[in-house]
Amino acid sequence: MYTILHAVLGYFFLLLTIRVLSRRPGAQLTPFEFVIVFLVGGVIILTTVGDDKSVTNCVCAIIAVVLLHRLVALLRSYFPRIGAVVDGAPLVLLEDGQWRKQVMDRMRVDDTDVMAAARVKGVRDLTGIKYAVLERNGGISIIKAEQP
Amino acid sequence: MATPMRTVPVEDSVPKVGNELAVGEDLSFQRKWWVFERIVWTLFVLVVVLDVAGVFGRGPAANAHMHTPDGAMNVRYERIERFSTPSIMTIEFGRTAVRDGKIQLWVSDSIVKELGNQRIVPQPLSSITGDGGIYYTFPTTDSPDSVEFALQPSKPGVFHFSLRVQPNTATPGTGAASPAPEQLQARVVVMP
Repeated sequence: MYTILHAVLGYFFLLLTIRVLSRRPGAQLTPFEFVIVFLVGGVIILTTVGDDKSVTNCVCAIIAVVLLHRLVALLRSYFPRIGAVVDGAPLVLLEDGQWRKQVMDRMRVDDTDVMAAARVKGVRDLTGIKYAVLERNGGISIIKAEQP
Repeated sequence: MATPMRTVPVEDSVPKVGNELAVGEDLSFQRKWWVFERIVWTLFVLVVVLDVAGVFGRGPAANAHMHTPDGAMNVRYERIERFSTPSIMTIEFGRTAVRDGKIQLWVSDSIVKELGNQRIVPQPLSSITGDGGIYYTFPTTDSPDSVEFALQPSKPGVFHFSLRVQPNTATPGTGAASPAPEQLQARVVVMP
């Protein structure tokens, strides 16, 4: 029973911790972020499994976490607000040649991050961008400005 | 015959930016989330500071000490323990605790049950249950002497424990009974 309880607590605490870590632009895990994922995951395992290293305990813990994940995914599909809490929501960084400074500062994104995403789309400079959107997964979507 | 796939017409349901780009941005939610994030980070910092101070155990604020007025016992323990985590409770005895070359210590049941006593160093000469606890007898050649209890709490919660020794203050040859032993009581919080 303690394993299930610890797994549930661990899941939600990990969800909260990872969620409040701001999305990093680029959508890819950097080595710096790998450290967080492995270290936090390892610490959560310690309390979830505890002294009981039996296969039964391990299987129960995995099933509990998977069921919980499924439940959160189900709730997310029914209630968009839960989706926004769990995954975040897209945010516009640049609109019609105007930076959204508050969003940029709070999400710790700068113009070089936006330009990096723009180059992938073949955009040469910032004036060639109509919209830049920070997506839920941390990726930056670029909508090109129409050429005169 | 196969059942046809159910389809629904596409609606322009995702909110737009600039009336042209469907993003689904929700700035009012995002502002509330940023406030929530600040609160969480503040709490995280507070938790780390309190943890370093030992408020959750294993630190300066967790260390406690108590003694009997006659100096028979001086106890160092952790007032905040952690579930299933080892700790040491040290009991130092004064001269008044020694009777006939022995020290008889009584500890309440909670030391063994809830606080999970694993071993005692040095090993007692005998251990007898009684009075809601256990009497341990330790041989001693000199005083002050000390005994260590290795504790490992078996469950989280708030627990009380008591300790006492039979003091050696009876007047020899008079037949006068020893005074009532001084009892020490303490509360231990076991963090989950």
